[in-house]
Amino acid sequence: MPILPPFLRPGDTIGIVCPAGYMPLERAQTCIDTLQAWGYRVRAGKTLGSGSENYFSGTDDQRLADLQQMLDDPGIGAILCGRGGYGLSRIIDRIDLNRFAAAPKWIIGFSDITVLHTHILTRCGIATLHAPMAGAFNDGGAAGPGVDSLRRALAGESLGYEAPAHPFNRLGSAGGRLVGGNLALLAHLVGTVSEPDTRGAILFLEDVGEYLYNIDRMLYQLRRSGKLEQLAGLLIGGFTEMKDTLRPFGATVEEIIRDVIGDAAYPVAFGFPVSHGPDNVALKIGAPYRLAVTAGEATLTES
Amino acid sequence: MNRKNFLSSLLTIGAAGPVLAASGPTVSATVRHQSEPLVIPPYLRPGDTIGITCPAGNITAKEILPATELIESWGFRIKVGDTVGKKDTIFGGTDAERAADLQQMLNDPELSAILCARGGYGAVHIIDQLDFSVFFKHPKWIIGFSDITVILCHIHTNGNIAAVHSKMCNSFPDDWSKAEPVQAASILSIRQALSGEKMHYQALPHSRNRNGRAEGPLVGGNLKTMETLAGTRSDIDTAGKILFVEDTGEYLYSIDRMFWHLQRTGKLDRLAGLVVGGFKVKPDDPGDEFVHSVYDIVTDRVKAYNYPVCFDFPVGHQKDNFALKYGISHLLDVQPGEVSLTDVSVEAVLTPAS
Repeated sequence: MPILPPFLRPGDTIGIVCPAGYMPLERAQTCIDTLQAWGYRVRAGKTLGSGSENYFSGTDDQRLADLQQMLDDPGIGAILCGRGGYGLSRIIDRIDLNRFAAAPKWIIGFSDITVLHTHILTRCGIATLHAPMAGAFNDGGAAGPGVDSLRRALAGESLGYEAPAHPFNRLGSAGGRLVGGNLALLAHLVGTVSEPDTRGAILFLEDVGEYLYNIDRMLYQLRRSGKLEQLAGLLIGGFTEMKDTLRPFGATVEEIIRDVIGDAAYPVAFGFPVSHGPDNVALKIGAPYRLAVTAGEATLTES
Repeated sequence: MNRKNFLSSLLTIGAAGPVLAASGPTVSATVRHQSEPLVIPPYLRPGDTIGITCPAGNITAKEILPATELIESWGFRIKVGDTVGKKDTIFGGTDAERAADLQQMLNDPELSAILCARGGYGAVHIIDQLDFSVFFKHPKWIIGFSDITVILCHIHTNGNIAAVHSKMCNSFPDDWSKAEPVQAASILSIRQALSGEKMHYQALPHSRNRNGRAEGPLVGGNLKTMETLAGTRSDIDTAGKILFVEDTGEYLYSIDRMFWHLQRTGKLDRLAGLVVGGFKVKPDDPGDEFVHSVYDIVTDRVKAYNYPVCFDFPVGHQKDNFALKYGISHLLDVQPGEVSLTDVSVEAVLTPAS
């Protein structure tokens, strides 16, 4: 069973890094203020509000060095990624996880950070936090349920979530470790040393800004590579800002997913609050959970 | 993409072709042998029949007329499949209809080749439903590109059956007399490939090319489609081979991520050579401008290796998209003054099989 890093205590330090896209410091200020209000110290890495003038928050070497330093520093209790974007695939194979594996800490993020989460779970068997990043604290987000679930998760609370019934849900209950994240990145990891092991797992998926046909194609890849075969359960989060081709694909995301999973025997819940939208709760990737899908609702609880 | 520096010519050199092969190409990569020996379907002779089917996107009967008229003028017969004219949302019929049409053509002993009418999306829906056992015993040419990369990769990996990566029906011009020379030459190269002619291509040198000379089976196709085959039974092994890639409509960051995927799945480290075709890049969203060009992306990914690399090869979603014999051994020769790709397979005899 995966190892859970130690939960945080007041006075612990959270490091903020940007291992992928560029983020100006002011976009993270509300996040920093909020983390301090929770009783933590904050250390901003060099890649947050860096001098970079391009897409990335720094060169590959700079992003790697900042993340590596935070991973290795015993004074850092958790690492919160400022934002996603794109960039972890470029440095993932150069990250040295030896010290981190000996002294694990919570790594927080989603979207492109799916690469880091999945790699760490597959290579080290250490749990990570799929949760809102710095930008989500802005515009009132700091008081919202997503950021609040991050606060409670870091403090060691056992969290449970509910989603309303959905006509495509498949009823049942199951237990297993939680695996998942951004669909495009999970598909992108298939065939690499970072790919997720989904056997016996509760898989959750979300995505943003993809064409419907591409969602379909990526789900076919997961299915054809055996990633949907031996699941304990499946949670479908938000698929936001979906795009369609000039000739309409002719099916909604929910219909696409329903058709790809076919007559799978495991429980499936749609409309789970994990997404690039406002509904994005903290989930401990690698931790054991129990999924119960009934006619009235779906619940996910830590077990 | 700026293609103004680009020129290429198709030169059919016929019997003179093997001279190049005889001059002793060096193979720079370690060759991992395919489990199955290469199977080259019988080349076509006048009177042979080509089936047209839609394994992916839909097309109307009218839209394939420029292709059927031209192909008939070459002396081949055409058999139009049930899926031509069918439409199920974006697909050329339901999954069951498309699978049945292609299956029937795979098994039909009267057909010498199967031309996919167009790409789009959808081959991956039916690939696992198809039974290739008859086809593997009695192979025929499968023709297409883009989404059809699924089928080309699948039959390469599972049967080592050669195929033709080329334009499809939707790229044949309505008015042949008005076709641009490279478009006409690209389409005529399909006939040459199917007829068993030795293929030989030349491209202008490019400042980012890496010089060298290497021989190996030619594999590849649409980059995004190949990425989504990773981990599946249609995925290709590229060791010892010449890999060609092309794509359209992808953001630069996505192209970068796909080249990282090629590397991280072990598809770049043991290549004989790399042929980079056309990349029609989707413009970056304002504020999200990516740093690197396609040339930078590729150069960075192959810097640890020594094999030849050429850019702007005439393959892709563009007018100059020459027929490539998939799975067949080619010699890639990238020199300061000239780039050439030559079909050197000893099995590629000019005499068509009976």
